[in-house]
Amino acid sequence: MGGVAQLRLMVVLGLRSLWTHKVKTLTVGSLLFFGTFLVVVGTALLDSIESSMARSITASLAGHIQLYDADAKDPLALFGSGFMGSDDIGEIPDFAPVKAAVSAVPNVAAVVPMGIGMATISTPVELDQVFLSLREAVRDKDQARIDALAKRTRAIATDLVTEYANRAKISTDTERIAKAQADLARVLSDAFWKELEDSPELSIQFLDSHIAPLASDGRLVYLRYLGTDLDAFTRDFDRFQIVEGEEVPSGHRGMLLSKTFYEKQLKHAVARSLDRIRDKRVQGTTIAGDALLRTIARELPKQYQRITYQLDPADAGTLEGQLRELLPQVEGGLPELVQAFLAVDDANFDARYAAFYELIAPHIKLYEARPGDVITLRAFTKGGYLKSVNVRVFGVFRFSGLETSDMAGAQNLVDMMTFRELYGQMTPDKRAELADIKAKVGIEDIDRASAEDALFGGGALVEEHQDDEAGFDEFRGVDLAGQVERLREEAAAPFDQTAVDNGLALNAAVLLKDPERLDESLAAIREALDAAHLRVQATDWQSASGMVGQFITVVRLVLYIAIFIIFLVALVIINNSMIIATMERVAEIGTMRAIGARRRFVLVMFLFETGVLALLSGGLGGAAGIALITALGHSGISAGGVDIMVFLFSGPFLYPSAGIDQLLLGVTAIIVASLASTLYPALIATRIQPVVAMQQKE
Amino acid sequence: MPAVVEVRGVEKDYPLGKLTVRALRGVDLTIDAGEFVSIAGPSGSGKTTLLNLIGCVDVPTQGSVSVDGQATSSLDDNGLTNLRLHKLGFIFQTFNLIGVLDVFQNVEFPLLLQGGMDKAARRARVEAIVDAVGLTPQLRQRPNELSGGQRQRVAIARALVTGPRIVLADEPTANLDSQTGANIIDLMKELNAKDGTTFIFSTHDAEVMRHANRVIRLADGLIVDDGRGAPRAEVPAPASPA
Ligand SMILES: Nc1ncnc2c1ncn2[C@@H]1O[C@H](COP(=O)(O)OP(=O)(O)OP(=O)(O)O)[C@@H](O)[C@H]1O
Ligand SMILES: [Mg+2]
Repeated sequence: MGGVAQLRLMVVLGLRSLWTHKVKTLTVGSLLFFGTFLVVVGTALLDSIESSMARSITASLAGHIQLYDADAKDPLALFGSGFMGSDDIGEIPDFAPVKAAVSAVPNVAAVVPMGIGMATISTPVELDQVFLSLREAVRDKDQARIDALAKRTRAIATDLVTEYANRAKISTDTERIAKAQADLARVLSDAFWKELEDSPELSIQFLDSHIAPLASDGRLVYLRYLGTDLDAFTRDFDRFQIVEGEEVPSGHRGMLLSKTFYEKQLKHAVARSLDRIRDKRVQGTTIAGDALLRTIARELPKQYQRITYQLDPADAGTLEGQLRELLPQVEGGLPELVQAFLAVDDANFDARYAAFYELIAPHIKLYEARPGDVITLRAFTKGGYLKSVNVRVFGVFRFSGLETSDMAGAQNLVDMMTFRELYGQMTPDKRAELADIKAKVGIEDIDRASAEDALFGGGALVEEHQDDEAGFDEFRGVDLAGQVERLREEAAAPFDQTAVDNGLALNAAVLLKDPERLDESLAAIREALDAAHLRVQATDWQSASGMVGQFITVVRLVLYIAIFIIFLVALVIINNSMIIATMERVAEIGTMRAIGARRRFVLVMFLFETGVLALLSGGLGGAAGIALITALGHSGISAGGVDIMVFLFSGPFLYPSAGIDQLLLGVTAIIVASLASTLYPALIATRIQPVVAMQQKE
Repeated sequence: MPAVVEVRGVEKDYPLGKLTVRALRGVDLTIDAGEFVSIAGPSGSGKTTLLNLIGCVDVPTQGSVSVDGQATSSLDDNGLTNLRLHKLGFIFQTFNLIGVLDVFQNVEFPLLLQGGMDKAARRARVEAIVDAVGLTPQLRQRPNELSGGQRQRVAIARALVTGPRIVLADEPTANLDSQTGANIIDLMKELNAKDGTTFIFSTHDAEVMRHANRVIRLADGLIVDDGRGAPRAEVPAPASPA
C-alpha cells in the first residue's frame, strides 16, 4: 500500500462513510468541535491572562526572578501569602556580593535590592493641628496668632459642648461624658486662657491630652512599604511613573507614595466620599438608586468638623460668606452652612462637587501628606520593638496600565537606608553613636534591645512604645517639630551607591534582558549563586508573587481537569459509537478483507476516518474559538473594576489573542484523543474474518 | 491444462455447541486452468465450505489446498490475503459491493489494493472491464441506484479487474430472477471463453448448472461426482458427534 491513489481512496471512503452514518458523525463531530473550541478558548484566555499578569507582576514589583534567603522559613510571597506580615523570608545580610554574582550572568539586566515591611502613619486629628500651631505661636510669642488660635479653640470647644450634650442623651457612658463636659467648660473659661499666658506648657499639655481626644478619633493608616534602591527601581521598572512631585534625589532618603494609597488612604475623608460618589455617578449610578451611595451621602454632613476644624479663622470668615451666598436660606453659622453644603443629592451633586474643590479644598489639608511633607513611619523592628522613622515624601507614583489596581498600588517605595532602619539594622553612624552612649553610660554589655531603646526611646526626638498594645493603637504626642529637626540632620548626610549595596536586603528582583529565556537564566543564576557560596535562592516571578502567582496555576489546573473530563466523556462516546459503527460494517469489512484488503488497511481506514472527522470538526471548533477570542480581543473583556481582575488583566480590559499555538494544541489534542478512542474499535474491526462476506444471507 | 486448484484429503469440522459439524469429510479435487466448473448439491452438502477453502478465506481441519501451485497451509494471514488479492476473484450471492463507492470506485478498489498501476492505466482497465459487463452508462452510480443484475455485473467486473487465475462465485444467481441469472452466467461464460479465467461457482439451479463444462456434485460433505468420470463416492453418512 502507499501512494496518492490509496490516500484518495481513504479520503473517499472516510468522507463517504462519515456522510452515510450521519447521526454518529454529528454526535462525535459536535463533541470534537466543542472539545477543540474549549481547549482553544480556554488556553487562549489563560495564556492571555498569564502574560498580562506576568506584565503586571514583573513590571510592578517582582522583576522576572526574585532572590531571597535560601534558609527562609516561608516562601517569598510578594503579593501576600494570605498570612499578612507573618511570613519569615529570612534576609540577605549583605547584598553586594549577591549583586556582583548575579549581575555577571548573561541576560541579567539589573539586580534591585528590596525589603518589604508594614508601617503605620498617624494622621493627626484636626485639633492636634490647631494645638500644634498654638504651641508654635506660644514659643514664638506671637500674640496675634495666639489670640486667633484661642478664638478658634473656643469655637471648636463650643461646638463640642453641643455635640456632648447630644451624646449625653443617648450614651450610657455618663462618667466619660461628664468628664468631657467638665474639660470643655474649663477650656471655655477665661481663667484657662489666663493660665496659658502664665504656664503655656501645662495648658497646652492639657489641650493635647484632654481636649484633642474629644474630637473624632485620629486615624491610623497602615502603609506597606518596599525598601529598595530607588535609583535602580525607577530606572529598571519601566512602568514606573511619577505623577506628582519628583523622584527621590540620588543618595537621599525619601519616600514615594503610590497613587492608589495616596488617593484612597491619605486624601481628606470628605473629598474621598465626594470622589466616590462622583466616580459612581460617572458610571451611571445615581445616589437615589444605590444603597451604598445613599449611605455615603447621608454620612457626609456629619463630617463637617473635618472641614471646619481645619480652617484658619481668616479662611473661615471668607468661606462663611461664600457659603451664605450659595445657601442663603440656611440659618446659623459656619458649621450649619457646611453641613447644609454637604447634604448632596442627585440634583445638586455636580454643582456641589465643583464648589467643594473651588471653595473649600484650597483651605483644608486635602491630603494628609503631600510631596514635600515629612511623615513618621512606625514599624516593628525585627527584634519586635516599635520604631519611628521620619521620612520626606518626594513624590507620588503609579505603574502605567495598572492605575486602577489596588494590588499594584499596594506598595509605597522608600529608600534602602530608611528601610534598614525600620527593619532594625544599625547603620555605621548609629553604631558609632551607640558606642558613644555605651562609653558615656559606662555599660559594658549592652544588648541590642536596650541599645535601640537608648538610641531612639530615651531621646527627646521620638517617643517609643515598647508594649504591643499601645503600639498600634495610640499615636499621640509625636513631636513634629523634633521630627523635622531630625530629618534635617539625616538629609544632611547623603549616602552613595556602595552604602545602598553594602548592607542588608530581604530579597532582590532580577530583571532580564530577554524574558523569554527565563528558565535558562534562572538556572544560570542558581549556578552563579552556588559558585559564589551564597545562601540565596532564586525563583521565578510566578512562584515569588505568592497567591496571585498561584492563582493562574489553579485556574489552569481547573481548566485542564474540565477538559480532561470532557475528553474522557468524548472518548467513551466516540469509543461506543465506533464500536456500533464497526458492528454495522462487519459485512463491508469482511468483503474488503475477502477481496484482498489486509488487516492494516482496515486499521488505517478506521483511524483515518476518525482522523478526518477530528481534523474537520476540530478545525472548525478551533476556528470558532479563535473567532471568539479575536472578537473579544477587539472588544476587550472588562475587569469589571474588580481590583484583582485589573491586576490579572494588567489594565481595565483584557484583550486576549489566540494564535496558531492554541489551535495546534486544540486540534492535536482532539486528534490524539479521538484516535486513542478509535484504536480499540479499529482493532476489533481488524479481527473481522473475510469468511463473513460469504455468510451473508438476505 | 495445468491444475490451478488441488484439494487433497480435505476435512472441515465446525464446532457447534458440544457437537462438531463435519461439513467436509474427505474431499479430493483437481480443477484445471480455464475450466468453467459448477459445484452442485443439496443444501448443507458443503458447497460453500468447499468454495471458502479454495478461496483462502478459511482453512481446512485436515488435508491440503493448493491454489495456483501455492499450498495455503503454509501461509499466514497476510500471505492468504495477498493470494486472494492477486490470484482470486470473488462474486458473492449478496453482491457485497461497497455502498459508499460508485461503480467505477468499486471496480477500481482491488487495483488500488494491489498498487503499482498508474492512474491512466488503471482508469483504462476499469473502463474496459465495466464496458465488458455492459455498465458504462452507470459508471458513476452508487450500488443502491442499480438493479440486482447490474450489481452482480459490477461484482463480476470487480472480481475480474485484477486478471485473477480463478473466480469463485457462491450461488451468484440466487438473488436474481431466472432470466437475469441466465444472463449473468452467460456473461461469466463469455469472459471465461475470452480470457481463459477459471470459474468455479456453486448453484442449486439445474438451469444454471447446464452452462457448466463440468459439474461437481456434493452430498453430505463428500464428492459424489467430480464431473470427470463415474461417481465414486460411498454411501453418505449422517453428521456424527465429535
Ligand atoms: N460457520 C459454521 N458453523 C457451524 N456449522 C456450519 C458453519 N458453516 C456451515 N456449517 C455447517 O456445515 C454444513 C455445510 O454447510 P455449507 O454452508 O457448506 O452447505 P451448502 O452446501 O453451502 O448449503 P446451502 O446450499 O444451504 O448454502 C452444514 O451442515 C452447515 O450447517
Ligand atoms: Mg452455501
